[in-house]
Amino acid sequence: MVLYFIGLGLGDEKDITVKGLEAVQKSTYIYLESYTSCLITPKSKLEEFYGKPIIEADRIMVESGCDEMLERAKNNDVSFLVVGDPFCATTHSDLFMRAAKLHIQLIVIHNASIFTAIGYSGLQLYKFGETVSVPFFTERWRPYSFYNKILENKRRGLHTLVLLDIKVKEQSEEDLMRGRLVFQPPRFMTANIACQQILEAEDNTQSGLIQRNDLVIGLLRMGTPQQTIVVKPIEEMANMENLGDPLHSLIIPGELHEIEQEMMQFHSNTIN
Amino acid sequence: MVNFTVEQIREIMDRQENIRNMSVIAHVDHGKSTLTDSLIGKAGIIAESKVGDARYTDTRQDEMERGITIKSTGVSLYYPYDADGSGRENNFLINLIDSPGHVDFSSEVTAALRVTDGALVVVDCVEGVCVQTETVLRQALQEKIKPALMINKVDRNLLELQLDPESMFQGFSRTIEKVNSIIATYDDGTMGDLQVDPTKGNVAFGSGLMGWAFTLKRFAHMYASKFGIDPNKMMKRLWGENYFDAESKKWKKTNLSDTGKPLKRAFNAFVIEPIQRLARNIMEGNMEAVDKMLVHLGVELKTEDRDLREKKLLKKVMMKWINAADCLLEMIVLHLPSPKVAQRYRVDYLYEGPLDDECATAIRNCDPNGPLMIYISKMVPSTDKGRFVAFGRVFSGTVSTGQKVRIMGPNFHPGKKDDLYLKSIQRTVLMMGRTTEHIPDVPCGNTVGLVGVDQFLLKTGTISTHEEAHTLRNMKYSVSPVVRVAVKPKNAADLPKLVDGLKKLSKSDPLVQCSSEETGEHIIAGCGELHVEICLNDLTDFAGIEIIKTDPVVTYKETVQATSNQVCMSKSPNKHNRLYVTAEPFASGLAEDVEKGDIAPNTEPKMRAKLLQDKYGWDSNDAKKIWCFGPETTGANILVDATKGIQYMNEIKDSMEAGFQWATKEGCMSGENMRGIRMNILDAYLHTDAIHRGGGQIVPTARRVYYAAYLTAQPVLQEPMFLVEIQCPTEVIGGVYQCLNSRRGIVNTEEPVSGTPLTMVKCYLPVAESFGFTAHLRSQTSGQAFPQCVFDHWALVSGDPLDPSTKSSEIVNAIRVRKGMEGPIPPLDRFLDKL
Repeated sequence: MVLYFIGLGLGDEKDITVKGLEAVQKSTYIYLESYTSCLITPKSKLEEFYGKPIIEADRIMVESGCDEMLERAKNNDVSFLVVGDPFCATTHSDLFMRAAKLHIQLIVIHNASIFTAIGYSGLQLYKFGETVSVPFFTERWRPYSFYNKILENKRRGLHTLVLLDIKVKEQSEEDLMRGRLVFQPPRFMTANIACQQILEAEDNTQSGLIQRNDLVIGLLRMGTPQQTIVVKPIEEMANMENLGDPLHSLIIPGELHEIEQEMMQFHSNTIN
Repeated sequence: MVNFTVEQIREIMDRQENIRNMSVIAHVDHGKSTLTDSLIGKAGIIAESKVGDARYTDTRQDEMERGITIKSTGVSLYYPYDADGSGRENNFLINLIDSPGHVDFSSEVTAALRVTDGALVVVDCVEGVCVQTETVLRQALQEKIKPALMINKVDRNLLELQLDPESMFQGFSRTIEKVNSIIATYDDGTMGDLQVDPTKGNVAFGSGLMGWAFTLKRFAHMYASKFGIDPNKMMKRLWGENYFDAESKKWKKTNLSDTGKPLKRAFNAFVIEPIQRLARNIMEGNMEAVDKMLVHLGVELKTEDRDLREKKLLKKVMMKWINAADCLLEMIVLHLPSPKVAQRYRVDYLYEGPLDDECATAIRNCDPNGPLMIYISKMVPSTDKGRFVAFGRVFSGTVSTGQKVRIMGPNFHPGKKDDLYLKSIQRTVLMMGRTTEHIPDVPCGNTVGLVGVDQFLLKTGTISTHEEAHTLRNMKYSVSPVVRVAVKPKNAADLPKLVDGLKKLSKSDPLVQCSSEETGEHIIAGCGELHVEICLNDLTDFAGIEIIKTDPVVTYKETVQATSNQVCMSKSPNKHNRLYVTAEPFASGLAEDVEKGDIAPNTEPKMRAKLLQDKYGWDSNDAKKIWCFGPETTGANILVDATKGIQYMNEIKDSMEAGFQWATKEGCMSGENMRGIRMNILDAYLHTDAIHRGGGQIVPTARRVYYAAYLTAQPVLQEPMFLVEIQCPTEVIGGVYQCLNSRRGIVNTEEPVSGTPLTMVKCYLPVAESFGFTAHLRSQTSGQAFPQCVFDHWALVSGDPLDPSTKSSEIVNAIRVRKGMEGPIPPLDRFLDKL
């Protein structure tokens, strides 16, 4: 039978495509991938909208083998729901390949993702370089390698899309070692924290390529009714505590075309 | 009848040249506590008549009952002495620590040594240098403690064995030689001349029991005027190959006179014989001769003393003539260093930070106005039940009641906040054996007790006022906690009391390890059966409940015998990261070097790399790329980054190390520590994005790949072995062998103890076979053999633990059941991934 990889889009339950909704309604089992991103809408709302129960597939299930799901997909139609687009979050290729090896028929239904939504910022998608993610720094673990990639893009005049860390169902190192399934409360990195960490990386790298008054673009809650775009100097953004609910992303602009500049101007005016 | 006041002591505390911090160390039953009594008797805390039987420093019920010292006990003594011969007496403060001699309590000795600068090494003249003498002496030298020697129980030579003077001399020489040969291996020149030598005056002979002792200085002064030579020259004549020819009135280097008559060694003729004569006359009740001698020696007896007879009279006379306390105090003052002298060379070993920073400089100069630096070496239960006094040594600055300080535990790292507390000191006290005395402040160079910091320190730590102070080096113990018992309360509702009791036990004993297993069992680990027994008694006291204990079991280690038969690969849960690792065994000797601290995380990396290259044949690149040691970051397993040019390796280092600590702490066969394993990270495929290779992804993967590497490298168990010394009459040796044979013991040497009808057997005995060994041995030898067991090394348990028919496998399964681990050893494919 068929295993559908269905993108849910960015906003609420209604962002699913018509094709996707049809597939869901055909399916006997519906799994919702719930950790690489998260939907603003609670699961119950989705269930109400689809009229079907949903099994939540958290990170532990996806990574430690979705054997149950794959097994069911051999004899039933199964939907695997992914927030955004199923293949923009890189973590699903492994699952896809395993299903393919089991000769399960696979159908992919795309949707909008942060990778497309950033178009609204006015920066041209053609001019983006490598995307980076900023992880939450811990006291001992402060990797700066993401920053080198931002610099690399910057040197080539390219914009950088910066994705921000999401920690859902994470175990603390101690719980992990003790084998306890105790999870930390979910954490979502906000744009101001990301800017602080970028500035720290710059302080350590001393590249001089990013100045404290360089403009950056904060993409807040894209795809939802509260979606907002903020354009601020990076230092100012780093100090903004009131950016509101997650999820946030960030763009570090490279060289700007005139039209890009106009769009940015527009966004910086709208908020204040 | 205390003959000094706290004020007097406080006054000398400022005069660093007049302070001696010293410990008394020896093999069990060589007479430390008894000797210590005579010193305390001199300082006036106990009546002088009780010297020899009070054992003032044995403060605990069990110590008094068993007649052995279990805990080291500190006491401050006040001693007026004319050091420069100017006729003017100077007041000296002697901070003395009596330490236990039984090997099971070696950790107490370690704690005692840390706070002192000098050590009085006591050796029984009949038994000579024994295993524990050697262990504690080595420990002292490693800590840069200067030794002085006391050859004790000479009364046994005189009265019991009735040795002739020459045999005595030979016995003394052998002991001195043996001590010096141990000293020579540690002498790096920084502490000056360390050798002990009767002609220097740092060797005393005597009897703690009878309260007398002498150095050659005493006799040299006596004879100097008679012979008309300088006392210092006289001292040299009184030892070794020096003979006096009475006929020609000449000193000779050989034992033949000019006229060819045999001559007596000067030591025998002028030192031993007078003592012997006096003793014989007293014991035989020959009072006339005694009186004559006493006049000659200038000893006056009180009328009531004149009624004493035999041993009692001998003791009285000897104490008047050559008083042990006078002799030892003089030796201590003259030959053991003051803190000012000692800290100059000790700072390099003690301080972990840069040796030119403010704290190091203050320690080196013993500066009372510098930043405060205290090392807390042990916790002493206080009269306030359940609380502890932190006992330690002030190395610089001055500590006072109410002072705000930084309390740094062993896990503190400069610049970080782990294991760091900012608190005030409630009270500073002086430790006085059984009691404590309040004292407003204590300057550097002295020992001190602190009240109110016990809840912030587990066992030991550093206390400072300086913001940037590094810690003082943690103590290294010569023994390991290899014997464990599980405990539970008789009444299940008392569990919280038990847990609380365990916490207190862990504080009060420097070595004991208290832990809990996954099964909810509480484990006490000590270094021998006696140690564990004492700990259980203490636990019962601390918890105040009845306790049930299991039979003791031993600690095992998991190691490997070969290099992994394949490069093991494991994938992270998100499949984006792959790690490639192999395991291989350490070359022989390396694990011991790591455990000794010769090759350690804090060894200077270049020196460490060179050592690994030269001594253990490591590749020079590998030797430079050691990531960490484990378990507990200091254990005898090493993680090497052997990758070349892999990006982002530095960003997963932390996670790889965390996984390594985890894996080496709980080996995959039995959950025991790994030991003697080198893990090589050969390659890694890593996701470019840091989010996809955080701790949650890498730590468990690293652990899996280490386990896979372990299982493919011929895994095997190691068990702890005791070195056992058994002294017994030669006729019961058969029983000793029988007992050893039935317990897998391997005899190493068997030698007669010269001058006695005793034989000394040295052998190795698996710790697992040592339970009930002492009792068994005694029953086999009608109670005439006494063993001393000390942990010596780890030995391979033969047999493949993965083969269910072997003994190893049986041991592993028993441990797994005990720890509540699931099923048999997990199969390799649980850890190894395929491409």
